[in-house]
Amino acid sequence: MKKSKLLALILAASMVLATSGCGFTGTASSAAASGPAQSEGTAKTSDGTITVYDTNEIRTMVQWAASDNNSFTILNNVSEGLYRLNEKHEPEPALAESYKVSDDKLTYTFTLRDGLKWSNGTALTAKDFVFSWLKQMSTDATNGYSFIMTDYIVNGAEYLDNKAKAEDVGVKALDDKTLEVKLKQPTPYFVRLTVLPMFFPLNEEYVKSQGANYGLKAENMIYCGPYTLATYDPASGSTLKKNDSYWDAANVKVSNVNVRIIKEQATALNAYKSGELSRVTLSSSDVPAMKSSAEFSSTSEFRTNYLQFNLANKAVSNKNIRLALGYAVDRATLADVVLADGSAPATGLIANGMYGDGTKSFRGLNGDITTFDAAKAKEYWEKGVKELGSAPSLTLLTEDDSVTKTVATYIQGEFKKNLGIDVKIDSKTKKAKNQLMDDNNYQMAVTAWGADYDDAMTYMDLWTNGTPYRGNYKSDTYNSLIADAKKQTDDAKRLQDMLSAEKTLVSEDAVVSPLFYRGFAYLTKPSVENLVTHPFGPPIEFKYASLK
Amino acid sequence: MFKYICKRIVYLLITLLIIVTTTFFLMKKLPGTPFDAERFSLLSAAQQAQFLEKYGLNDPVIVQYGKYIGNVFRGDFGTSFFYTGQPVSGVILGRIGPSALIGVQAILIGLSIGLILGIIAAWRHNSGIDYFTMVVAVLGVSVPNFVAAALLQYYVGLKWGVLPVAFWQSWKSSVLPSIALSFGVTAMIARFMRTEMLDVLEQDYIITAKAKGLNQFKVLMRHAVRNSIIPVVTILGPIVVNLLTGSLAVENIYSIPGIGSLFVDSIKTNDYSTIMGITIFYSAFYIFVVMVVDILYSVIDPRIRLASGGKGE
Repeated sequence: MKKSKLLALILAASMVLATSGCGFTGTASSAAASGPAQSEGTAKTSDGTITVYDTNEIRTMVQWAASDNNSFTILNNVSEGLYRLNEKHEPEPALAESYKVSDDKLTYTFTLRDGLKWSNGTALTAKDFVFSWLKQMSTDATNGYSFIMTDYIVNGAEYLDNKAKAEDVGVKALDDKTLEVKLKQPTPYFVRLTVLPMFFPLNEEYVKSQGANYGLKAENMIYCGPYTLATYDPASGSTLKKNDSYWDAANVKVSNVNVRIIKEQATALNAYKSGELSRVTLSSSDVPAMKSSAEFSSTSEFRTNYLQFNLANKAVSNKNIRLALGYAVDRATLADVVLADGSAPATGLIANGMYGDGTKSFRGLNGDITTFDAAKAKEYWEKGVKELGSAPSLTLLTEDDSVTKTVATYIQGEFKKNLGIDVKIDSKTKKAKNQLMDDNNYQMAVTAWGADYDDAMTYMDLWTNGTPYRGNYKSDTYNSLIADAKKQTDDAKRLQDMLSAEKTLVSEDAVVSPLFYRGFAYLTKPSVENLVTHPFGPPIEFKYASLK
Repeated sequence: MFKYICKRIVYLLITLLIIVTTTFFLMKKLPGTPFDAERFSLLSAAQQAQFLEKYGLNDPVIVQYGKYIGNVFRGDFGTSFFYTGQPVSGVILGRIGPSALIGVQAILIGLSIGLILGIIAAWRHNSGIDYFTMVVAVLGVSVPNFVAAALLQYYVGLKWGVLPVAFWQSWKSSVLPSIALSFGVTAMIARFMRTEMLDVLEQDYIITAKAKGLNQFKVLMRHAVRNSIIPVVTILGPIVVNLLTGSLAVENIYSIPGIGSLFVDSIKTNDYSTIMGITIFYSAFYIFVVMVVDILYSVIDPRIRLASGGKGE
């Protein structure tokens, strides 16, 4: 007996050891935020806390390294740019109170608000923007987003290549409150870029004092947004607290926000039902049962899933074949019945709701340029087959995640139904699929692009360089339209260029065939109001939210 | 005993070095890079160069290996690629706690229930309780732990509201995952204990003990159990390691920031430094557990003499 007692003792000791270091996220530093959560039964949303989740870890809080939506969500709520997206996803003055643009549309002068402060009490000045933007245009930036500045700002690209000095770059602090930005070409959407996390300010003195520790923990950062970070754990999530030194603190109504990490959809739904979450995203299979609920809503993003044809491949190099394949897919059924997750059927490459001319959206202006027409599909197919001499055998390359596979299977069925052809599906991991496309080793692929910013250019200049990934598309007409749009000072003419370019790419040359705009269906607790989800850039906005 | 332990520790280090070396070179054969190819291609040449330089990926693999080993001896496991800039040791240490706690609790639950069931089943051979134990054992082994986890979450967490549905906030959060993980342990221990006990109960010395007039309970505990427990101790080693490493599904279901999911994610994202860090941790832990089990043998059964050349394996 003595010996088995020893065994028990060893086990007990190891348990004590383990418990001492088990790191519950609800203890110590975040006790205030998660304390109420433990009172069972009541939804924690009733005491000034909103809890949302992400399906992936929050990779980094360092803004020049961050490139994923989960990091953006946090950064956007603990920091702020010159402008911030409002509830309607339009930019409105944030740290800047206004801006002026010169007649040649190349110089922007932003005026900051009075009395801006970082969360540690330091004054926030125009210099903080200069430091942060130069950092984003330096070799230190690892998020792959330097282009979003160097494409526009004078000498930005040269600075990145060490061919220009910091003082030659077109971003300057004229005084504490005035930031001057010089652009290479007229960019009507420049102000809409300043809402993105890459454009947020950073305090040079503070960042340098932290060195390699900057952004690793909540206490290694200072904040200027509606919230401050109370705790940050990449794996279990973050807790946010209202920032009292924020200029618009009076309008921030929810005092605590939790962002958790939940990888299992079923877990998220259970947590939502038990009152642990304020909002849950639904999978397609849950939508029918929940659709009639008052808590249900859905939204689509600026992210287009499309068929990319490889013009270097003999079979699909025939335009009639491409047109036939494009006409053969019923996108309404795909989005509403097959996906049924809030996704919207694509009627063009540029997603619903993207900026057009200020009164109408781009999509509204260019109309439905992608349509389903079984009769036309058949007609073009027969023409194409005649030109080729025989019916080509086709393979559709796709990623192996369940949604994309569902989409591919549906398209395969549509080709069979409307064209009477058997198309093979080649499903690969994301990496392998991208590799095949880069290696010019595919016929057509289901792929997607999400907008980096709210302008059609975020899509359109992808097809100007004729890479295999973009189907080896080389068109002088298209390239000159995009080139003209990039230097055009007349906004109306620029818009016309962009509208024509989309038509050229999609309906005339049929290089891509848009399928759907990705959407989300979710449930939100009735007590939560105005929890805004943006269709691009930083996804969730807590600033406007309130609790009943 | 001391000499024996020292010798074992030397072996441990050698084994570890072999494992680290093998893993390092195999890992470099993984397809892809730690970087998202699309994002990486968006970096300028200078940015790419600085990035590779920072992580030492410009050097030939053999040089990288040399540097890595050197750093490990200095206690530096590098920084994670996936969690940009976070030190690997910090990432791993932060994740061990939750996995260790639910693992240890699962073993304690599984061990106590399994031993009791096994002993009673053997003692009351071919009775109702024996059949019951065997049904439990078959269920415990054949029902995957994530099914148990999902069921417990739905009923105990959501329907009855007794314990948290998920997350890692207080000790209560660890109860359901521990129970979910313990089923397999219970089943395995019960089966082993029963078989071994049945064997031991047939032995002459049990009959002798009974003949001496010892009461039933004492015979069972002092003579039968102690002699049956050795195989159980043997399988305990792998079980301990398994629970700490193989609880990925349960960790995901309960949204626990444990090490199981970290390991899988680090391999999926080619996070070289984290893969290496976890490999070192796992193998060191495994070898250590095997050593502890060997030492436990001698404690339980004095016939196994470690110091005098017994290998114990």
